Parts: sequence; C-alpha cells; structure tokens
Amino acid sequence: MRTLLTLFAVAAIAFSQPAHKLLKYPKLGEVKIPEIETFTLPNGMKVFLLENHNLPLINGIALVRTGTLLEPADKTGVHIIAAGTMRTGGTKAKTGDQLDEQLEAIAAGVESSIDETLASVSFNCLKENTDEVLGVFHDVLTGPEFRQNKIDLLKMQYRSAIGRRYDDAGEVNNAEFSDTVYGKDTPFGRSIEYETLDRIQREDLIAFHKRYYFPANVRLAIQGDFDKAAMRARLEQIFANWTVQQQPVPEFPKVTHVAKPGIYVGDKKEVNQTSFSIGHLGGLLSDKDYPALEVLSDILGGSFDSRLFRKVRTEMGLAYSVGAGWGAGYLNPGLFRISGSTKAESTVLTFQTIQKEVERIRTEPVTDQELNDAKEKVVNSFVFNFDRPSKTLSRLFRYEYYGYPKDFLFTYQKALAAVTKQDILRVAKQYIQPEKFVYVAITNTDQLKTPLSELKLPITQLELKVKEPKKEVSAADPASLAKGKALLARMQQAMGGADKLAAIKDVVMSNKAELGPMKVNQKVQLLLPDKVRQEQELPFGKVIAAFDGKSGFLVAPGAPGPQPMPAPVLKQVGDELFAMLVTLLQSDKIAGRTVNAVGDNRIEITDGGGKAAKLEMDPATGLPAKLIVEAMGPQGKMEVERQFSDWKDVNGVKFAHKTVILQGGKPAGTTISETITTNTGVSLEEIMKK
Amino acid sequence: MSFRNLTCLGLLAPVLLCAQSLADFEKRVTEFTLKNGMHFLVMERHESPTVAFHAHVNAGAANDPANASSTAHMFEHMIGKGTASLGSKNFALEQKALAAVEVAYDKLEEERRRERRADKAQIERLEAGLKKAIEEADKFVEQNAFTREIEKNGGVGFNASTGLDTTNYFYSLPSNRTELWFALQSEWFRQPVFREFYKERDVVREERRMRVESSAQGKLIEALLTTAFTAHPYRNFIGWASDIENLRAKGAAEFHKTYYVPANVTISIVGDVNPAQIKLWAEKYYGPIPAGPLPPRLYTTEPPQNGEKRVTVDTEAQPFIAIAYHRPEGTHPDDPAIAVLDGILSSGRTGKLNRELVEEKKLALGADTGATFPSGKYPNLFIVFMVPNAGKTVEDLEKAWDELIEKMKKDPIDEAAVKRVKTKLRAGFISGLDSNSGLARQMAESHVALGSWKKVFTELEELEKVTSADVKRVLNTYLTKKNRTVAYSIQVKPEGK
Repeated sequence: MRTLLTLFAVAAIAFSQPAHKLLKYPKLGEVKIPEIETFTLPNGMKVFLLENHNLPLINGIALVRTGTLLEPADKTGVHIIAAGTMRTGGTKAKTGDQLDEQLEAIAAGVESSIDETLASVSFNCLKENTDEVLGVFHDVLTGPEFRQNKIDLLKMQYRSAIGRRYDDAGEVNNAEFSDTVYGKDTPFGRSIEYETLDRIQREDLIAFHKRYYFPANVRLAIQGDFDKAAMRARLEQIFANWTVQQQPVPEFPKVTHVAKPGIYVGDKKEVNQTSFSIGHLGGLLSDKDYPALEVLSDILGGSFDSRLFRKVRTEMGLAYSVGAGWGAGYLNPGLFRISGSTKAESTVLTFQTIQKEVERIRTEPVTDQELNDAKEKVVNSFVFNFDRPSKTLSRLFRYEYYGYPKDFLFTYQKALAAVTKQDILRVAKQYIQPEKFVYVAITNTDQLKTPLSELKLPITQLELKVKEPKKEVSAADPASLAKGKALLARMQQAMGGADKLAAIKDVVMSNKAELGPMKVNQKVQLLLPDKVRQEQELPFGKVIAAFDGKSGFLVAPGAPGPQPMPAPVLKQVGDELFAMLVTLLQSDKIAGRTVNAVGDNRIEITDGGGKAAKLEMDPATGLPAKLIVEAMGPQGKMEVERQFSDWKDVNGVKFAHKTVILQGGKPAGTTISETITTNTGVSLEEIMKK
Repeated sequence: MSFRNLTCLGLLAPVLLCAQSLADFEKRVTEFTLKNGMHFLVMERHESPTVAFHAHVNAGAANDPANASSTAHMFEHMIGKGTASLGSKNFALEQKALAAVEVAYDKLEEERRRERRADKAQIERLEAGLKKAIEEADKFVEQNAFTREIEKNGGVGFNASTGLDTTNYFYSLPSNRTELWFALQSEWFRQPVFREFYKERDVVREERRMRVESSAQGKLIEALLTTAFTAHPYRNFIGWASDIENLRAKGAAEFHKTYYVPANVTISIVGDVNPAQIKLWAEKYYGPIPAGPLPPRLYTTEPPQNGEKRVTVDTEAQPFIAIAYHRPEGTHPDDPAIAVLDGILSSGRTGKLNRELVEEKKLALGADTGATFPSGKYPNLFIVFMVPNAGKTVEDLEKAWDELIEKMKKDPIDEAAVKRVKTKLRAGFISGLDSNSGLARQMAESHVALGSWKKVFTELEELEKVTSADVKRVLNTYLTKKNRTVAYSIQVKPEGK
C-alpha cells in the first residue's frame, strides 16, 4: 500500500511540472575523431585510408576530377552515358553482364557515376572478398570496354526518360527552377535532348575516359575492416602498371547567367496543387558570410520551427511541405530557394505570405531566442558529424577534392557561434534580393482562384512539352559510311544512273490508292527538290494540299476556302518529301546528309536535323526494295514501311509503279501509279494555284 | 564430415557471421517490460556519444475507424503540437478553450445531421462560432515549442510515420541529453494535446493532394489497392479526402485512448547509454502511465478472390502498370520463399526483370517487384510495378510479364540465382546494422511483428533453408491470374486542350 502511494506521489511530481526544464545534462562524452592515413602512390594517385572494424565490410570510392559541366553543348549527356556504361559496358576481361553475375554472387558492388563537378567509381564488399572486388574496381576504373549494346541500352533509356520528363509536378518544379536560374543555355541548366543523345557515340565515351581517368586526376578513399599497411601494399601492387598521363583537366565553367525575375508558370491540368520554388542564386561555402546565411535561412525556413513552417504550415495550414535553404556550393553558387506545395487555389495567398516573411527578415532583426535556438541547434548536433567514422573520411575527402582546408568544419562552427543579430540583418539585406526572385509554379491554372497577375510580376509560360522524339540513328564508322556510299551508288546505277536522276526537274503522277477500305484517286505534282501539290478525290470530296518549300495551304470540302497548313501537316509534308525516292537517292549530293550502311543491303540516310529513313536494296536487281521511316502513331513511335515493285522506265529512269504500305508491320494500303511523267515543265504558280 | 567443416569455415561465412553477431548483440542488448506492459529494448553502442530513439506503436491506418480514414495519421501529426508543458502559454485556459472548440463543433454537426432539414443560416452562424472558438484556442499556442526544444538540444532526424500496421516516432540526440527524450516523449504519450488540430487537418489534406491527387503513380496505387482488397482495411491507402476534411479531435483522442496503451508500445534505444540508468528513467517517466487493455483485434479477413480484377486510371502522364497477387501474412512459413522469389525477379542487375524486360526485350524503362505490399501484418500483396519504354505499351509489358512468369513455372529455377539472392539478403542485413537509428527501428519492428528482436537474426536462417522447390511452389501457389489485380494508367490528352 505504501509503495503504491509513493508511486502516485512520484507520478504527480513528474507530470505537474515541465519536466524538461528541470533536467541537468552531464558533459557530453568524448567525440572520437578517427585517424586517416593519406599517401600518394608512385603513379600519382592520392589515397586516404580509414580502418573501421565495426562490421566485416569494406567500401571505397575514387573521385575523378571531371563532371557534366565539362560536356560539349551539342552532346549534352555524353558524360552521363560514359559514366553509366563504364560499369555496365564491362572490362576487357569481362562483359558487364559477367561482372553483374560475379559481383552479385558475393553481394558486392562496383558502380560508376557522375555529377556536375565530380565523377566517381566506388565499390563495396564483405571483407573476405576484398581482393576479388578490388580487382574488378581496378579494371572498371582503368580499362572500361564500353560495349555497344550497353551504350544503346542506356541511350534508349534516356530517350524514354526524356519522354517522361514533365510527368511529375514536383520534379518539374525542381528542374525548371534550377534551369531557369542557372540559364537553360548554360552548362548548369542544359537538359539532355533527343538530338544531343543521338550524337553520342562510343568513341566519345572512350575519349572521355582517356581524357579524365588518369592516376594524377584520381583520389581514392577506402574505409572498413582491413589493416592499413596491408591495404597500402595491395594498392601499390594493383595500380603499379597504371601510369598513363594527361594534361591537367580544364577548370569548370563559372555561372554567368542572369535570370529574368518574375513568375514562370507551367500548366498541368491533372494536378490540384501548386508545386513552387522561389529564389535566386545562392553562394559558395567559402564565402565569409556563409555561416550567417546559414543561420538566416534556418530561421526563415530550415526547420520544423522556422518562420515559414510556422506561418505557412502550422498557422495557416496552407502546405504540407514548405522550407527555405541557402544553397552554397564548393565551386559554384548553389540556389537560394524557398519551396513547397499548396492547393492551387491558395497559390497567390501562399506567395504573398512568403513575400511578407522575406520582407520581415530583411527589415527587422531576428529575436534573441531565434538566434540562440539556431546556434544551439548547430552546436548541440555537432556531434552527429562524427557519429560514424566514415562521415569524417568522406568529409575530409571532399574538402581535399575541392581544395578546402581540412579544418573547414571547425572554422565554420566557430564562425557560426560568433554570428550576431546585426550580421543576420546585414546579410539578409545584402544577399536576399526579392526584386531578383524567380518564382516557378507548376500548377493547374484553371484552379487558381486568384490570378497570378495579382502579384504584379512579369509572367512567363513554361512549355511543359517534350520536344518530339527524333529518329534513332545507327552508329557510323568510316567502314559503314564507305559501304553506305557504295550501296547508294549501286541503287542510283540500277535506277538509271546518277546523272539521269540529277536531270529530273519535276515529276507528275496519277495514282490509285487503296487506304484500308477507302479508294482514292491522287494527282501528285512534284517540283524538285521541295515543292509539291497533291490533289485527292476522297468519298466526301476533293482535298488539295500545296506546299512551296516553306509554307502551304489545304483546301478541303466544307472549309471556307484555302486554309494555311497547320504545323503538324507542314511537318508531315516535310517528312514525306524527305522520303521521296527520287531525292532520297541523291542524298550524297545534299549537304548535311549522312548515308550509312546499317546492314548488308541496308542504308540509313539522315539529315542531321532529325529526319531519318532506311532504304533496303534488292541484292538481285540493285533497286530499292523497301523504305522504312518512323512516324508517330496513336501508340507512340511506329515503323512505316513502303515496299516497291512494278518498276517501269520513265525517260531513262526506273520508277516503281506499285507501293505497298505497312504500318507497325500491318498492311495499311497500296498505291498504283497509272502514269508517271518527268520534266513536264510544271511551274511554282501551278503548284500553288488556289 | 570434412565437407561440413569446409562449409562452416569458408563458404558459409556470412551465416556464421550472423550467428556471431547475434551472440555479440545479445551481450549488448537489455530488454525489460514495465508493469504497465510497455516494452523496452536497449542496445549499447559506445562508438560515439549519440543515441537513437524509436517508439513503435502497434497500430496504424488499418485501424482507422469507419467514416474516419486517416485518423491514425492525423493523430501522428499531433506529435509536432506538443504537450501540456511545452507549447502552451497557459495550459489551464487553453484546455478550456479547446473543449469549447469541440462543443462548438458538436453543435454545428448536430445541425448538419438534420441534412435537408438543416437551417442554412443556423449552419453559417455555427460555422462562424466554430471559427471563433478555434481562434480563441489558438491564442494560447506557443508554436512548435516541442520540436524547437528537440532541435535546439541537438536532436536530429526528428520525424514520425504512419503505416498501415504501425506508427513510429523517432529521432536521435547527443547521449548526454537522453533524459530529455524520456521527459518529452512520455508526457506526450500520456497526454497528447489536440492543439491546432483543425489546421493540421488542412496540412494532412495537402499531403493527400501531393501524394495521390497530383501524382499519377499515387492515383494508380490507390486504384490498385481499393480494387485488390474488397474488405480488408489495407485498401485504405492514405485516407479519403472527404473523411480527412471531417476528422474530429475527439475521434483522434479516442484512437489514442484505444491504441496507445502502454502494452501496445515498444521502445528501442540504441547508442551510448547505460542500460541500468535507462531502466530507472523508464520507470520514472513511463511507469506512471496507467495500464490499459490491449486494443481489439482486427477481424476483417479478405475473402478469397474469385477471378482476375482489372482497373484503369486516366492520366496525362506516361503510362505505368502494376500487377498485384494476394499472398499470406509476414509470419507465414512461405514468407522467406516469397522474399527469395522477389529477389530472383528484381534484385540487382541480374534480376530477371532487368535482364529480360529491360535489357533484352527493351520493353521496360524500369521494373521492380515487392514481396510485401502495402504492409505485412495481415495477408497482403506481391506486387510488380513496370514502366514502359517510349513506344512500348502497358499491354506489351503485361504480356511479357505473363510469359516470364509462366516460363519460370515450367523451367527449373536457377540455383545460382537462389544462392545469389540469399547472399545479397544477408549482406544487406549486415550493412543495415551500421546506423543506430536503423538498428533501433529494426529491433522494435522485429519485436512486434515477429515476437522477438532476435528474429531479425534467426529469420536469416529461415531464408537459408529456402530451396528452389520452395520458390517454385510459391510461384505456382500465388502468382496466378485468378489471384491478381492488374492496374494500369492510360495516357489521355489534357482536358480543354
């Protein structure tokens, strides 16, 4: 009974007072800063070793000084494809698939990756597999084979990813904000596009590796359950023969773009929430005001108790996520960014609330409590920088790579402890510049109750549309190009000779076409190289399409006179003209075109601007047998194939008088040419007659 | 005999390692239960002066009351709102004001219940009254005081999560501040305050907008779950918008009373701590919380499925496809074999989906499987999620998946793949032991879901026993058309364009 009473008494004390306020904390236990051994191998490669015997694991990472910022603009993505296929494309001894089997059987990994300012090759394994895995790591780092099948695979995956680029509002918001602030035409804001991807060839990847992966440009860090001396000996041995040298790598480019302030709106009809970012460029970690800016952004939007979190989420319930960060980079400015999401109808209210909070922090000093809390937070959580030995290693390793002093973290902590309210107000005024803010809003504009124009800022529409996929182009090398040229010459010869083809000025055809159940009479007048008129008699009336090389018009039953050709039709006409046999066969004389053999009897012709067609020769006659192009169908990309037959002579040149059309492998129609005449003297006026 | 020795010495090193780890871990783990039933797991790790806390409540969204989905989640959000001693300018007055909010809300609801006979003007008056009562209560709020206290004491990783079966509260502190966690968390467990509840409700509503309504994947997964489960509450993905908009503080309080009884809570603490001291603090801070009956069991069992189910979702985004097969609960003897099957299909680059659908046939941009979805306490789903490449369709992927599965059922299972998957699962487990917070979570989960924290180690032995015949058996038993739901999105043009 007594015990019970005592227990109640204790309970009453425990809960009647704010228990946490009575707590006294003992001194924090000692922080162990692990010892890291550094040395340089005879070949010039710097090594950092850290013994850590907590678990029977070993992992390592080699940093290579390069990055996507060094990619040529017309091949954006080349370093990403290279870094990706360094591992998947295998080594001289083994294919990537064989490496997968070997490594996964022992639960080990070797990976290669890249970001803006560094590339890496890393490994991890159980202790007992160290030698085997180090061997693979060495081979991937020093001698990747870049097998073509994995290059094709990765390029295709990036093509698919481009097609999905605008699907997720949150991701679109991140990318558009970053690209807009850094500049979409700069190395910091460029995106991989179908064209840049198409230009990437195996030689580029080999050249990338050769240029950047050499010992003096590599730093290696390994941590885990090993003996330092033994590991050092092992590294000296396996890297003894890797002695290639290269010129020092170029400097990374600097950020120079100045973004146009204002609101950038991307419309997505299927969302009911606005994903937003507000801000401008941030700074460098080495800036003397960086510690004050950190405290500032922490108070503004860095925690569960920041001003923005309190106001926008806690007080107004406007957002699930909202926050701000002063982005500081090692070499280039990061992004100062306030971001979050709110239901579309409260977008303007949320922006205004944020504007007010930004103004407040720029005009009034923060409170003592805010400053103290922010500092205490950093001081008290400092120990978590050392809670695992690997954190110390990776930090020092990064500092070394980016040329920062070893004690950077400690200097930073000291500087932070000295930050005053005046410092914060000063840096807020100096560095946070609302007049330069870029606002990105990915939203459903139909649901914005208050229009964005209420904010009285310039508004720019973001085009959230994938640039139409260009045709995939096969890899070309000198041998395949020579063969392509020969195949084309043979087809020209079989048709009647290059000179005869070149002499054709115009072609006029009368066709009977069967397109599914529909029978159509067609008259086609072609004034080479790029002017065309087509008249078709369809069951519902006559349709005329005319094109003068630049623009054109359509006449259709029911329409009030000729209508200008809309963009999709213009594009279709351009594609059709490109695929006309008579001009396609003269591609060797047209600037910018590439003729490449892609099979024993097959060539691929590309115009460098995204048009491509494959032409297959009948080996018996030398005449073109099939023409294959890709077109967009309802289900996406689709192959359209034309099979030629019934060849007859017209003024010394052979023309196919029958064409069977297949779409996606299925029969789609037949065209029979009743008459074909050439050099009739048809004029541009006749072609464009309305 | 010599063969046996050989395997023990070399080839089976990882298994030995687990046995060693368990022995080693057992030495460092202290386990005790308070009189009120609350269970504690304490593991000493003195590598750095830090400590990770994980409070695990054996209840989640599957326990949401009818008409009030998202109650468990909504209650979880109250952790940020503080306690009697943290977060109020005057708790006595605040309590009265909060009670007045509920009274005003009750009156409004009473009128609304009259449905068509309700008096519109009266409703408007009552709404205004509720708004005013809320504003009155808000005057006492000292915002985010609870989280601020944690952060300024060096707390990192503060967060909470609501799953279907469990709710978790976690963060780490410098180890000299261990007692702070006891003081704060125990007070909240005993007496949460439903401060700013109705604003937080808007936040939860925004969370649904973000995760489901504005996400093509979210919409597809919600459609899949509501189709696959007819009766079982696993069909509740994140709660319905209309339910969330009408959640009440008193409903959340009732949920707390029912499910947050001490015997339904497990605490694990990993780091630089002294177990004897931990026990004293546990008694002091959590001991006084009165014991209560364990919450009711969830009886609803999903009835057997009688034929394939299909569902589609229109979206502007590029399409996805998900196929889900009913499978038994996590403690079922088939669980390890299902885990191995999952690994054979999608673990690493050698996984069959990557090799065949991504690399060889180039149909999928990505494809993944999950052995346990959306949660594991009750019978759940084995799921495959596939993303078609440009120019490929969800139909292409469904067909390819069917061919792959049917072929696996006919052909012998690749022994090398079985071995590889087991090795990887073991190695993944070992790397998972690295962080205090990860370990704290694993130990609490294992204690509740499997009956003992030690099961995280012994489970690996179960895994080791899986044979290719077991894999084939689970494949034939569960991956059948009759037993599945196919969900895919269809890309449509934006409306009004």
